[in-house]
Amino acid sequence: MFLALHEMSRARVRFGLLICAVGLLVFLILAQQAIQGGLISGFVGALRQQSAPVLVYSVDGERTLQGSVIDPLLEAKIRGVRGVAEAGWIGQSTFTVRVDGGTESDAALIGYQRAGLGDPGRLSAGRRPVGPTEAVGSVADFTVGSRVRIVPNGPPGATGPTFTVVGLVKDAQIQVTPTLFVPWAGYEAAVKSANPDATTILPSVIGVRPTPGVRDAELVRRINAASPDADALTRSQAASDAPGVAQVQQSFQLIFLLYGLVVPLITGLFFLIITFQKAAALTLLRAVGARSGALVRSLLIQVVLVVGGGIVIGIVLFAPLTLIQLGAITIRFDPGAVLFWSVALLVLGLASAMVAAKRVLAIDPLEATTGAGGL
Amino acid sequence: MTLALREMRRRPGRFGIATVILTLIAILLMFLGGLLDGLVASSTGAFRSQRADALVYSASSRNSLERSRIEPEVRRQVESVPGVTRVGGLGSVQLGGRVPGRGTRDLVPTVLFGYELAPRGLPPTPPATGTVYADDSLRAKNVVVGTTIRLGSARSAVTVVGFVSDTRYTGQGTLWGSLETWRQVLNANRPDARVGPGVVQALVVQGGPLGRAGLPERIDRATGGATRTLTITHAVNALPGVAQQRSVFNQIIGVTVVIAIVVVALFFALLTVERTALYGVLKAIGASSRALFAGVVLQAVVVALIASLIGIIASLTLNELIPAGTIPFVATPARLVSSAVVLVVAAVLGCSFSLRRVLRVDPAAAIGGTP
Repeated sequence: MFLALHEMSRARVRFGLLICAVGLLVFLILAQQAIQGGLISGFVGALRQQSAPVLVYSVDGERTLQGSVIDPLLEAKIRGVRGVAEAGWIGQSTFTVRVDGGTESDAALIGYQRAGLGDPGRLSAGRRPVGPTEAVGSVADFTVGSRVRIVPNGPPGATGPTFTVVGLVKDAQIQVTPTLFVPWAGYEAAVKSANPDATTILPSVIGVRPTPGVRDAELVRRINAASPDADALTRSQAASDAPGVAQVQQSFQLIFLLYGLVVPLITGLFFLIITFQKAAALTLLRAVGARSGALVRSLLIQVVLVVGGGIVIGIVLFAPLTLIQLGAITIRFDPGAVLFWSVALLVLGLASAMVAAKRVLAIDPLEATTGAGGL
Repeated sequence: MTLALREMRRRPGRFGIATVILTLIAILLMFLGGLLDGLVASSTGAFRSQRADALVYSASSRNSLERSRIEPEVRRQVESVPGVTRVGGLGSVQLGGRVPGRGTRDLVPTVLFGYELAPRGLPPTPPATGTVYADDSLRAKNVVVGTTIRLGSARSAVTVVGFVSDTRYTGQGTLWGSLETWRQVLNANRPDARVGPGVVQALVVQGGPLGRAGLPERIDRATGGATRTLTITHAVNALPGVAQQRSVFNQIIGVTVVIAIVVVALFFALLTVERTALYGVLKAIGASSRALFAGVVLQAVVVALIASLIGIIASLTLNELIPAGTIPFVATPARLVSSAVVLVVAAVLGCSFSLRRVLRVDPAAAIGGTP
């Protein structure tokens, strides 16, 4: 222990550089893990937070709210499926808005026809809307009392509806855009103010609740069997199967794999070279009675200190990032992810030092007497 | 120089691990860059291909094509702006397409564009109503010349009469038809987004050689603020997510380059420490510090070049292996070469940290037998 620490204090620059490199890598991994989580939550958080256990898209919608349109014929088929207890319209569009009279910005509106089928499941603050001009907003983008005016399209003097935010819900964005849940009448007014040529406002999806005793997955199967134009999904499927989510996850997994390989390789390379450089000194130590186990322990202590130091630096760099909003993406400090990567990188770092440890174990003390003293 | 190269040839193992690490970093740089290029290319092709000087949106659309609506009256105002030579309407709608030979639930995501001024690669006159040109990314979805694609829940039929390259939009393959085709398909499938006669989503504007300067400002003044006009470059950058993607990816790439510098610095610092005695002897027999350091730099460059070469081969292989429609990765020569150059520069910078140590080597110490 003493030897390991003493050596590190004598070679501060080289150990410092390695700790910094590992720290930067840990920071990158944690930051990207958080960006991935924030992106996916921003893409489909509203789908996870809405209350309908089953969502029925039109096949043409490609599992996106903004692409799906349910015509009355398809709606009738869905409502007629055995096991449907309740069904309600859910619509979604993105609008130009002014929040509290400020500059123009974007907001996605999710309109729902029936409470419990498309409105947010659990609020983090405030209450649910009671009128068509009240809304529940995503907590990262709105506050209770915010007034959100839809900027209309059309002739000069046209006005758009104004919504008052009366409740908030966490992680409830859609398309990485500030999101409001509003009653259907309010949604309809917003769509018509944005497009005066709009004739009928059809729902994007139908939210469905199964009758008692029918599981969500079973109802999904029955609805899909009832019409080739219906694409029914459970709430969790709607979030995980949304276009782009799988690609984001695949891309990040490949990036994590590469970074995950770089950390142990750098650590392994460093300690292997150090061991080569110290060959003569290690041989001498063995010749004067130092046990090989003690030398390996000293090496592993250094690995733990280097990787541990890097992890601490990485976390210290990452933590302030979670206090800011990255565009519309919310970056969260996820203790589970931090713990996972800390343990994984420590284990990989120790594993990478095994080559150096093997070299230490192979030292022959007799070589000190012959002057060879190499590895 | 010869000595440095000979050392690498005789003891390749010494440089092996550093090469492996730099190779991984090279692959990371190229993969991150390729991912960024793929994401941007698949989102912006439809705009990049416009042969125009400006794109005119309605003022309240916040540069979103889907939210923008230009009335015929506003179009007339734009056409009368001095310096404007040609104006064409542009409209879009995203719909699932049913392609013959695919399953009933296996739709192809498409964006149908209606246009008047032809983008690059399309003939000057839009095709007849009901016919379209398809982006060649749709070839992978069984689309060929003559294929009739049925769009949306209304099954609006459009027949492909040819192909065009690099015109994808929001990550989807595009179809290019007349404004009439677009209006019919849109109104049949999206009653909430339907448009009246003469209404388009945006205007594509060409200016004369003397009229291009300040064109966007003049158009917006002429329409009394009813429009928001952007140059094509600005319109591309204003597409949702493009600027954010560039910013985030470039920051990640930047930190990865810093890591590459640290790795090279670390590796060559260790090598230099190991070779201090040897450098002392070489200096004692007349080698200059400059020559010794040049050898170190050469070794760093060779390691970086080998890593870059493997990285380029890996990226090209990845480009071939990744199935269409999964990871939006594209390996362009510009990205691969620029990543290699960045890595070589990082290697030179990294090994420069060893310069001080090489300069400090005392030849007398070598003769005296103490390193």
